[in-house]
Amino acid sequence: MRNSFFIILIIALLICSLGVLSIYSSTYQKEGSLWQTVFQRQLLWIILGLLLFSIVSNMSYRRFWDWTYFLYLAALFFLFLVFLLGTTRLGAQRWLRFGWFNFQPSELAKLAMAIFLARYFSRKSSDDIELSCSKFGVFSAVILPFFFTAIPLSMIIEQPDLGSGVILMLLFISMLYLTRVRLRYIIILLASVILPLPFMWHFLRDYQKDRLLVFLNPNIDPLGAGYTVIQSKIAIGSGAFFGKGWLSGTQSQLHFLPESHTDFIFATFCEEWGFLGGAALLLLYFLLIRQGFLIAQRTQDAFGKLLAFGITLMLSIQVAVNVAMNLGLAPVVGIPLPLMSYGGSSILVTFIALGILVNIDKTRAVF
Amino acid sequence: MMRLRLVTWIVAGIFLLLGVGLLNLEVIHGRAYRELGNRNCIRLVSQDGSRGRITDRQGQVIADSRLSYDLMLLPQDEAQKEKIILSASRILLKNARDLSSAFNNGYISSSIPVTIARNIGLKEAIALDELKVDLPAIIVQANPLRHYPQGKLASHVLGYVSEIDRWRLTKLEDYGYKTKDIVGFGGVEEKYDYYLRQEEGGISFEVDHRGKFIRTLGFKPPLNGKDIQLTLNIKIQKIAEDYLSGRKGCVIIMDPYTGEIFAMASSPAFKPEAFAEKNNSAISSLLNNSNSPLMNRAVSAACAPASVFKLVVASAALENKKINLNTSFVCQGSTLIGRREFKCWNTHGAQNLQEAITHSCDVFFYKTGLLVGPQGIHDYALKLGFARTSGFELPYEVPGFIPSPLWRKINKFKNWFDGDTANMSIGQGEVLVTPLQVTRMLAVFANGGYLVTPYIVKAIDGRDLSAYQRKSERVHLRKGTIDAIKEDLKSVVSSPSGTANVLASLPVSVAGKTGTAQAPPRQAHAWFTGFFPSKNPKFVICVFLEHGGPGYVSCVVAKQIIQEMNNQGLI
Repeated sequence: MRNSFFIILIIALLICSLGVLSIYSSTYQKEGSLWQTVFQRQLLWIILGLLLFSIVSNMSYRRFWDWTYFLYLAALFFLFLVFLLGTTRLGAQRWLRFGWFNFQPSELAKLAMAIFLARYFSRKSSDDIELSCSKFGVFSAVILPFFFTAIPLSMIIEQPDLGSGVILMLLFISMLYLTRVRLRYIIILLASVILPLPFMWHFLRDYQKDRLLVFLNPNIDPLGAGYTVIQSKIAIGSGAFFGKGWLSGTQSQLHFLPESHTDFIFATFCEEWGFLGGAALLLLYFLLIRQGFLIAQRTQDAFGKLLAFGITLMLSIQVAVNVAMNLGLAPVVGIPLPLMSYGGSSILVTFIALGILVNIDKTRAVF
Repeated sequence: MMRLRLVTWIVAGIFLLLGVGLLNLEVIHGRAYRELGNRNCIRLVSQDGSRGRITDRQGQVIADSRLSYDLMLLPQDEAQKEKIILSASRILLKNARDLSSAFNNGYISSSIPVTIARNIGLKEAIALDELKVDLPAIIVQANPLRHYPQGKLASHVLGYVSEIDRWRLTKLEDYGYKTKDIVGFGGVEEKYDYYLRQEEGGISFEVDHRGKFIRTLGFKPPLNGKDIQLTLNIKIQKIAEDYLSGRKGCVIIMDPYTGEIFAMASSPAFKPEAFAEKNNSAISSLLNNSNSPLMNRAVSAACAPASVFKLVVASAALENKKINLNTSFVCQGSTLIGRREFKCWNTHGAQNLQEAITHSCDVFFYKTGLLVGPQGIHDYALKLGFARTSGFELPYEVPGFIPSPLWRKINKFKNWFDGDTANMSIGQGEVLVTPLQVTRMLAVFANGGYLVTPYIVKAIDGRDLSAYQRKSERVHLRKGTIDAIKEDLKSVVSSPSGTANVLASLPVSVAGKTGTAQAPPRQAHAWFTGFFPSKNPKFVICVFLEHGGPGYVSCVVAKQIIQEMNNQGLI
């Protein structure tokens, strides 16, 4: 089935090019030669991503079954390395420096976790064709995978990167839900996660508390923690129906909107392209995610099916949380918009994930 | 698989929700956010033009604008604020505590400058501006401010300027008025505010998040208001105000043919500067003054006209042929109407019309009034311009009142008695007129039968307005009636026993009528209205003194004014 390859490739390229346009628009007026090359570097990442996409899509995804533990351990290793060598930007230690490339291990951890969980829940016992997870007790159904998730999760939250942590947690819960694990176990897990949340308040950092409070009411601190949300809403809202036109967004060009080329690129885009552009972009994302779900439904192999779901869910959760945060419907957490935001790690990991998705669809006939 | 489809639906639902959120933000609230976005990056630096000048008929300035300097402080740096307040109090010789309380009262937000002292002198302004090198939070702002080179002169004609009030704002919002606009209150300032007011101009430019200038978006030059030339003659106005000398009352001097007002003095007067400078203690003492100094008595005071009203009765009687010039009644000091005795102020003996007007005999007019009847008097009063506003430009003109039997019946459920007619005949009872109406009535006799519309604005922005003024209308009185009354008015002054004989000694011949309106328990209102020179009248004058005593007092004031006008060669 080459069909899904082209559909996904075209949609991804469309989104990427809109992203490059927005990145160019939000940075071309900034001073400093570094800013002028941001969009070029993004183009480079996209080309690299396409390369990886074509390699991965031609490489059997079953190999990831074999590499699962290696990938998982590698993710943990990099996360650990962040603590030792990570560079600090914007008050958080999230990046690893490889020469000229700042690598964000939490991006890799998301994909590794999706593969790990997919493998964990699609194990079969040697004497049975049924998936073993349907016979799991509460320990192996919930507690053990939660434990494996909690290790990278706690490391990510400790960076601190609450956004990626929340996404990992949501990914875990939704993948758990899609397996044949009994519903009551999931409810027990949810209860045990949600109930202590009020007590978790005291463990949050001050700026995280601020962000949550500001999410409830951005006007409590309009120049401090609420600034970003307000400016982002203004940027999106002032686009109105047709937008201000490319290169004419005042919010992003005059620096009122912080992080206008990374986390708040959706706002930058909507300011210049208006509701028409924003709705079209959301539609593109939805089509991409729908492809993922269709592939997952078509696939018979349990690992492939679950992995396809995991990848699609990972994408949809990131898109949804990022867009919601841009619209002021979710608290501000530092999550990039996949394929749009500037950032090598996010682009590469997303393209690898899409490559896996395509490969699952391609090889499903084998089984 | 159930769970699978549920998750797919949930994801689709979330995307739909995000789309709705986007729609809400961009389409439904798009306009408001566009506004907020513009406010982020567009700054306006406004520049005010100056309000139009007001001059007298010769072009002498009565009100113009001068620059005033306000000391403002940008409240971003606490330490700087303290220093600025200290040094400002040293330079301005003001208490530092007052300045800081002014700062606290005016504080809005840390990015908006606060005015801490108004109307500082030029030297102080320069001295403060020099501190800017060390204390950049100092702002010395120059504002055009209303200035009155003649002080209190013609304050009621001008009115004053102040910040727009709520009531005016709701009415004038559609004409581009904004809160905190300076608008006129009372007088020409209010009536012609639309012409006088300056148009704000300014530069709009784009800034970035640090407030750094990016580019200019547009420039609109401020426009000055239009100048207004009044018909007032500063010299005559000054004479009138000087001889009123603070007594409650007013003086009007008008051209009998055109209705141009040469002088309109009302007293007590006020200093319009107090409002422009926001001198709160002066303003509140003006507002609390029981003598109502803000009221323009020439148009807003309605009083009984007393004997002045006899001219109306006389013309009604002559026109209706109830009496002729030879009809005479005997005055025995009083007369009996019904069962009540109506007194005259003196015993005059046999009086014909001329004598009756000359001596202001009440008995003659009781009897004449009874012959004409109340309705006849009412009708002629209306013909001569009473009981309605004159069409004069200044605001707050009151119409006054002329009673009639029908009105009495409808509104008071009472009958009209002959006693009421007698009271009305000598301008007492319910009759109420304004000094301007009396002036206008006298102009009819001075100019030979035309009711003029008084006006006070000669030109706006150099354009002569006299062609646009309402034309004077012919009053349907026979020439004989007018001439007879004119003669009578002359004899009031020229006859040795005339009530205004005191004016006979003037070098110019004057004709006129006095009036003493009883206002028990206080002193009577004193009226004198006349025209001069009596042969070819150039001026109509009306002197009204509220609780000023007998009409004689007004005659004396009129005499002083005319004398002084003559001395200065203004006649």
